[in-house]
Amino acid sequence: MKKRFKLLATASFLVALTLAGCNATKSTDSVKNDAASAKPNEVQTLTVYSAGPDGLAANIQQAFEEKTGMKVEMFQGTTGKILSRLEAEKNNPVADVVVLASIASMDGLKEANQLQSYKEAENASKMNPDWSDAEGYYYGYSASALGIAYNTKNTKDIPSEWTDLAKAQWQGKINIPDPSLSGSAVDFIYGYTEAEKSAWDTIQAWKNNGLQVNGANKEALDAVITGDKNATISGVDYMAYKAKASGEPVEIVYPKSGTVVSPRAVGIMKDAKNVEGAQAYVNFLLSDEGQKLVTEAYLLPGNHDIAVKDRAALDEIPQLNVSWKGSEAKQLDILTKFNDIFR
Amino acid sequence: MIMESRRSFGLLLTIVATFAIAPLIAIVYYTFVHDGIFDVSQFSRMFANERLWQTLGNSLLLGVLVILGTTILALPMAFIRTKTTLQKYDWLDIVLTIPFMTPPYIGSMGWILFMQNNGFLQQLVPGTAWLSDAFFSLFGMVMVMSLHLFPFLYLMLKNTLLRINGSFLDAALIFGRSSLRNWLQVILPLLISSYVLGILLIFIKTLAEFGTPATFGSRIGFQVFTTEIHAYLSRWPVDIRMATSLSVFLLSVCLIIWYFQNLIGRKFTYSVLSGKTPAAREIKDKWFIQLGSWFYVGFVLLFAIGIPYFSIIVTSLQKVRGDGLRAGNFTLASYQAVFTSGSAGLTAFINSVVFSIFTAVITAIIGLFIALYIKKGETKKQQLLDFFSLMPNIIPGIVFVVGLIMFWNAPWLPATIYNTKAMVVVTYCVLFLPYAVQYTKSSLSQLDQSIFQSAAIFGRNSWDVYRAIIIPLLMQGILAGMMMTFIISMRELVAGLLILPPSVETGATFIYSQFEQGNVGIGMAVAVITVAMTVVFMFLLNWLQRWGGHVRA
Repeated sequence: MKKRFKLLATASFLVALTLAGCNATKSTDSVKNDAASAKPNEVQTLTVYSAGPDGLAANIQQAFEEKTGMKVEMFQGTTGKILSRLEAEKNNPVADVVVLASIASMDGLKEANQLQSYKEAENASKMNPDWSDAEGYYYGYSASALGIAYNTKNTKDIPSEWTDLAKAQWQGKINIPDPSLSGSAVDFIYGYTEAEKSAWDTIQAWKNNGLQVNGANKEALDAVITGDKNATISGVDYMAYKAKASGEPVEIVYPKSGTVVSPRAVGIMKDAKNVEGAQAYVNFLLSDEGQKLVTEAYLLPGNHDIAVKDRAALDEIPQLNVSWKGSEAKQLDILTKFNDIFR
Repeated sequence: MIMESRRSFGLLLTIVATFAIAPLIAIVYYTFVHDGIFDVSQFSRMFANERLWQTLGNSLLLGVLVILGTTILALPMAFIRTKTTLQKYDWLDIVLTIPFMTPPYIGSMGWILFMQNNGFLQQLVPGTAWLSDAFFSLFGMVMVMSLHLFPFLYLMLKNTLLRINGSFLDAALIFGRSSLRNWLQVILPLLISSYVLGILLIFIKTLAEFGTPATFGSRIGFQVFTTEIHAYLSRWPVDIRMATSLSVFLLSVCLIIWYFQNLIGRKFTYSVLSGKTPAAREIKDKWFIQLGSWFYVGFVLLFAIGIPYFSIIVTSLQKVRGDGLRAGNFTLASYQAVFTSGSAGLTAFINSVVFSIFTAVITAIIGLFIALYIKKGETKKQQLLDFFSLMPNIIPGIVFVVGLIMFWNAPWLPATIYNTKAMVVVTYCVLFLPYAVQYTKSSLSQLDQSIFQSAAIFGRNSWDVYRAIIIPLLMQGILAGMMMTFIISMRELVAGLLILPPSVETGATFIYSQFEQGNVGIGMAVAVITVAMTVVFMFLLNWLQRWGGHVRA
C-alpha cells in the first residue's frame, strides 16, 4: 500500500510540475482573456495582426493604448505570414483586426467571408475611395508607392524607366522583393502586367539580366544599401525614405511611364471577439492623429488632406491604371507565372 | 523500485505520447483524412509536383556534400587534438564548439555580408570580386553549413580516438608491424562505428536545418524540404495540406535513413570502453607537424569563427551601413537601443531566456524519470520508451512543429494551449527532450550497480534512495543537460517563427525579423549578446564537468 501511495505521489508530482511549468507562462494570458469576457467594461484586449511597418505599428499601438486604455496584442509579420496564420487558426480564431500590405489579399478575405463590414467608421468619407471597399469591409488607411530604389554611390546613370534595368550596365546589379513574401511586390507585378502589354517581356529581360529575387522588402533594400546590388525594382518607397533619412546612400525614383501605388488596408474579422475595440482601432487609424503617425513613417496617408513628410505626394507620382477589385484570383496566376520564370 | 512499476511506464509513456507522438499522428491524419474519409489524393498531388523531386534531390545532395565537408574539417582536427602536442590545450574544444552554438542563420548572414558584392572582403582586399561569384553557389552553402556542423562530428571522433589511444594502441604497437598497418587495420575499423553514427546525425541535421537554407539557399535559389514546408505554411498562397504531406515525406526519409544506420552500426560495434583509463602519454612532435597543426587549427578557426563574427560585430557597430568599413563610421547606438528598457530587442531576448529556463527545467525532470526507467534498455518497454524519447533527434524539428500546430488546433480539443506562451515551452520541450535524456542516461551509466545494491540494503525506502543518493550523483549530468537544453533553446528559430502567439517574440525571431523588416544593426547587436551569453554558459558547462570529475576522482 505504502509503495503504491508513493508511486502515485511521485506521479502526481511529476505531472504537477509539468503543468505548473506550462501554466505559469499561460496564466497571464488566460487571466486577461477571462477578465475581458467577464467584465466588458474594464480593460479589454484587442488582438491585431499587422503587416508592418515595424515602427509605425508599434507607434500606433502605443498611441491607441494611451487613448483608449485598451490593451493591444500585436502579431507582426509579412502579409503572407498573417494570411497563413489566419488559415491555420480557422478552428479557433484569435484576431480581431487585420492590417495587410495588399488590397488584393484583403479583398480575398472579404470574398472568403472572413471580414465584417463597418460602414459607419469615422472619417470613412475622407479616405481615398480607390483604396477602400465601398461596402466598408476594409479601408486603405495608408499606401506606399513602388519605385526603383538605387544606391547613390554606385549608380552613375540614374534609371528613369523600368526597361532601363534590362540594359547591360545593370547586369547582375538588380533585385526585387519576393512576391510570395511581400504583398507590395505582388501588387507591383499585378499592376505592371495589367497595365503594360510588354510587361512580361520586360520581366523576362530582367531575369536574363540577372535579376535576383531577394526575400522580403527590407532584405532587398538592404542589398542595395550595403552595395551588393545597385537597384531594387519595386522597392517600397517609405523604407527607402527612412533609410535615406538615417544617412544611407539610397534614393528612389518613380519611372515616368507610371508605377503602382500599393495601399495598406485595415479590416475587422468576422469572428472578432472584441468588435467594439476593433471599431475603435479602425477609427483611430482613420483619424487625423492616426494619419499623422502614418506620414511620420514616410507613408502616403489615406486622407488626402494630411500633408506628407519628406517624400513625394500622391499626385507627384506617375501611376499606372490599376483596379484592385477582384484582383486576388488573378494575382495567384501571376504569382505562379512569376515563380515559373524564377524558380 | 519505483521506476520499474507498470504504472510509471504508463505515465511516462502518456506524457511522451501526448507531447511527441500525437503531433506526428496529427500530421499523418491531416494528410490522409479529408472530411472523415481516407484520401490519398493530397499525397499523390505532392508526388505529381515536379518540384518535390527537385527538393528531395537538393536535400539529399546537400546532405551528402555536407557530410563530405564536415569530414574534411573534423577528421584532421580530431587527429590533431589526440595525436599531436595540441592535445593538451583543452580550451580549444570550447572554442571549436562556438560555431555549432552560433545560430546558423546568423552565421550565414555573416558570411553573406562578408562575401557579397561590395561586401567586407572587397572593401578589405580590392580585386576579389571574382571570389563572390564562386562563393554564392552550392559550394558556398555547403561550406557555410559544414563550418557550422563540423564540431559535432569532431567531438564524436575525438572521444572515440581518445578511448582507442589506450590499450588498443599498446597492443598494436607490440604485435603490429608497420605503423601504417596499425592505422589501417586497428584504428580505422574502430573509428568506423562512431563515424557512421556521426555522419548520419550530420545528414539528418542537414535535412532539418532551416536557418542557412532560408538565408543563403534562397539567395542562390536552392530550395530544400524545410524551406519548402515553411513556405507552404507562411507564404501566400498558403497550402497547409501540402506542408503536412511534405512533412510526412520528410519523416519517412529520416526514418529510413535511421533504419539503415542501425543496420550498419550493429555490424561495426566494438566495445572500446574498457574500465581502464588510457594513460596520457608524452608526445613529441617534429616541428613541421606542430607548425602544420597550428596552421590547420588557425585556418579552421578563422573560417568558422573569425569571418562570420567579424561581419556580425562590425554590422552591429556600423553607423551608416552604406558607408562600409571606414574610420568614424562606428557607434554603440545599436547596443544602446537594445539596452533601453522595454525595447523590443531586450524584451525578445528576455522572453528567450525565460522560455529556455522553463524548457531546461521541465525536460530535466521528465528526462530524469525517463532515464531512471530506461536504465540500460533491457526490456522491450524500456527500449520503446527510449526510442520515443530520442525520436525528436532523428526527426527534423519543423516536422514536429507542424504536427504540434495541427494537433493543438484540432477542433475536438476541449482546451488548447495554442497561441499561448505555454505552446512555445511545450514545443521546445518536445524538441529538446532527447538532450536531457541522453545526458542523464550517460551519467546514470557511470554509476556502478553496487551503488544501487548497497542503497537498497541500507536505505530506508526507495524514495529515500533516489532523493539522497541517486539524484545527487546524477546532478552533474542533469545540470549539463540543462545547460545544453538552455543553449539550444536560445537559438531555436523555426519553431518560434511558426508558433509564437501575438505580441511575443524570441531573440531568434526578433533577429530574423530585423532582416525582413527592421534594423539589421539592432538585430546583429542582439545576436552578439546572445552568442556572448552562450559562450559564457559553455565555459560554465565545461567547468561544471571538470569540477564533477575532480570530485569523483
